[in-house]
Amino acid sequence: MREADRREGVWQFLTYTFLLAAVALTLVPIYWMVVAASLPQPAFLSYPPRFLPGTEFLANLDALQGRLDFLRSVGNSVLIAVVYTLLSMLLCSMAGFAFAKYEFRFKEPIFYGILATLVLPIQLLVIPLFLLMVRFGWTNTYQAIILPWAANPIGIFLMRQNMKKIPDALLESARMDGATEFQLFYRIALPTMKSSLAALAIILFLFQWNLFLYPLVVLQEESMYTIPVAFAQLVGFQRVYYDQIMVAATISILPIFALFLALQKQFVSGILAGSLKE
Amino acid sequence: MLALGGAAAVAGLGGCVGTGDPNAADDSAGDGGNDMAAKATGWAWDVAAKSLDLTDEPYEKRANGNADVTIEQYGHDALVDKFKSALLSGSGAPDFSILESVVAPSFIGTGGLRDLSDRISDAGLKSAFVSGKWEAITGEDGGVYALPWDIGPVGVFYRRDVYEAHGIDPSSIETWEQYVEAGRKLPDDVFMGNLPPNDLAGVWRMQFRQLGGEPFTADGAVNVHSEASVRVARHIRDLEEAGIVANMQSWSSSWFSAYGEGKIASLPAGAWMEGTLRDSLPKTSGKWGVYALPAFETGGNRATNWGGSNLCIPKQTDDAVANRAWDYVKFALSTPEMQNEMYEKYGIFPALKAAYDADLYGAKVDFFGGQRIRRIFAELSADIPGYRFTADTPEVTEAMGTHLQRMLDGKYGPKEAVTKAAEQVAERTDRDLA
Repeated sequence: MREADRREGVWQFLTYTFLLAAVALTLVPIYWMVVAASLPQPAFLSYPPRFLPGTEFLANLDALQGRLDFLRSVGNSVLIAVVYTLLSMLLCSMAGFAFAKYEFRFKEPIFYGILATLVLPIQLLVIPLFLLMVRFGWTNTYQAIILPWAANPIGIFLMRQNMKKIPDALLESARMDGATEFQLFYRIALPTMKSSLAALAIILFLFQWNLFLYPLVVLQEESMYTIPVAFAQLVGFQRVYYDQIMVAATISILPIFALFLALQKQFVSGILAGSLKE
Repeated sequence: MLALGGAAAVAGLGGCVGTGDPNAADDSAGDGGNDMAAKATGWAWDVAAKSLDLTDEPYEKRANGNADVTIEQYGHDALVDKFKSALLSGSGAPDFSILESVVAPSFIGTGGLRDLSDRISDAGLKSAFVSGKWEAITGEDGGVYALPWDIGPVGVFYRRDVYEAHGIDPSSIETWEQYVEAGRKLPDDVFMGNLPPNDLAGVWRMQFRQLGGEPFTADGAVNVHSEASVRVARHIRDLEEAGIVANMQSWSSSWFSAYGEGKIASLPAGAWMEGTLRDSLPKTSGKWGVYALPAFETGGNRATNWGGSNLCIPKQTDDAVANRAWDYVKFALSTPEMQNEMYEKYGIFPALKAAYDADLYGAKVDFFGGQRIRRIFAELSADIPGYRFTADTPEVTEAMGTHLQRMLDGKYGPKEAVTKAAEQVAERTDRDLA
């Protein structure tokens, strides 16, 4: 075996060992969550901890469903996050396109004004937004959760930065071929943005998926709860329902898991190849 | 609705139990007239919600089916955030809600709660509750914004089997010094107690109050660096340095399992801890006991309080609904039978003095190996010193938690820790230092 090959072999061994350790670090808590979800609470609290799955998953799910309709919350969260993500992707990329490729009055102040809203913490916005929703008669509705952040400043920023990379010549030649401005956006600009859009989708979906304080205040009925709001009901003052929490946590990572799997290809190819493929 | 309400008010006349003047709700509703709605909805968390559920049916029966009270159960932090937002925005609040004494002044400060003082005095309830309860729920304007519910007279919950196995006699532990000495008899892998890093402020407050400490002076200056506070901080450090305490987050899974397995032998806590232990560690039934908190010196005070709640009614609630809510709240909290059922089933210790006369307090409790623990708590409750909660109490909680932890980390000594905490509170709340 040549010296170079051997050195490469050692490197490969070290790399894989490191990667395996990283994978273990990532997976053990998830494994423990799934195991804990299948144990009765007393077994979960026993010492030393049990690392083999139990048989109580359905019983724990039953207890959870008895406390509140968690599966309905999962449905609410998925619906809200999907609609929000699609709508927000459209708005953010349109706004990003405008800021990147058009000249108009007050363009810079408007853009930086939008960016400036990022410094406002959600906690500060909750009560004014809630009052607004009360006035609209929108408390306890899906649109109250979806619309306020539909034009997401981070999304607009991200799309503007990426769309700046589209060559003006490309747009200009399409314009000469008679494309309308919307066609420029939809047929020329967007198709080059696949990997940015995938990243944006994940960012927006996670933002909405994790939103807690605002839905907590605006959603009045249990049947409207999103996952984080439902979760918060499981940590009482004197009791923490660990068995139910673990079941809820296990179920609630599934949609995120699915989203990552679905977008993985674009996400990774985007990172590897850059956002422009000519 | 109005017709129904009238009927319910009349029905109330016949079956009112132990609340003094049965007509009180009608007389006292000066701002709201005599109408009483049928429905009222209240918020509470886990054990508290279940306790109210016990009173729900007797109340509705008493009203001959003209009342419909619903209790909605929330998580603790979720309720606090949601309720405060609802009060601040003037919309979305329930008709009545649980209100913890420790945070009560900041909720009163929102201006979103109803002043119940007329209703309370009309019903003759002012002297019905232990005196220490009123301070936290009285506003700066002198109004009373809630009706007292439970208190948390502190005792040391201990694992009887662990103490016995290592020759510790709880009746010989009268001072903290003796507590530490007893702790030294335990093997290395068994701890005498626990200092929860997430609630050092709670541990501190309970002992500070035991010493008669006040976090604020009468004219509002910050006083958490008083001699009593230094003493408590020093004691907390001594516990840590003696190596007899664990450092587990309270209510974490490892905390539960340590008590379940007898790896930590004692748990100083409010009487309500009984409910938590029964519920989460059912297998340890019969293995627990209770004794009064050790004193700082021989013959010193052994009574203090940890926790406790009240029920309040928001301003935004319609007058007729508020009348119904008050009628229910009064029934649930000032009827000894109701209070004692909550205590027996869920460990919620009544603030209602008349409750302590019941036979329940002399009864043996199986979970505690047949010990008559309720009598202990009832006797302690008479000696609990008062305590000045303010809207800035949460700042005290945060400052003490931070600086006591730094003290335990060895960054500075007890006196410096409480002084830094006092300075932090004073600076953030714009108050003077005492």
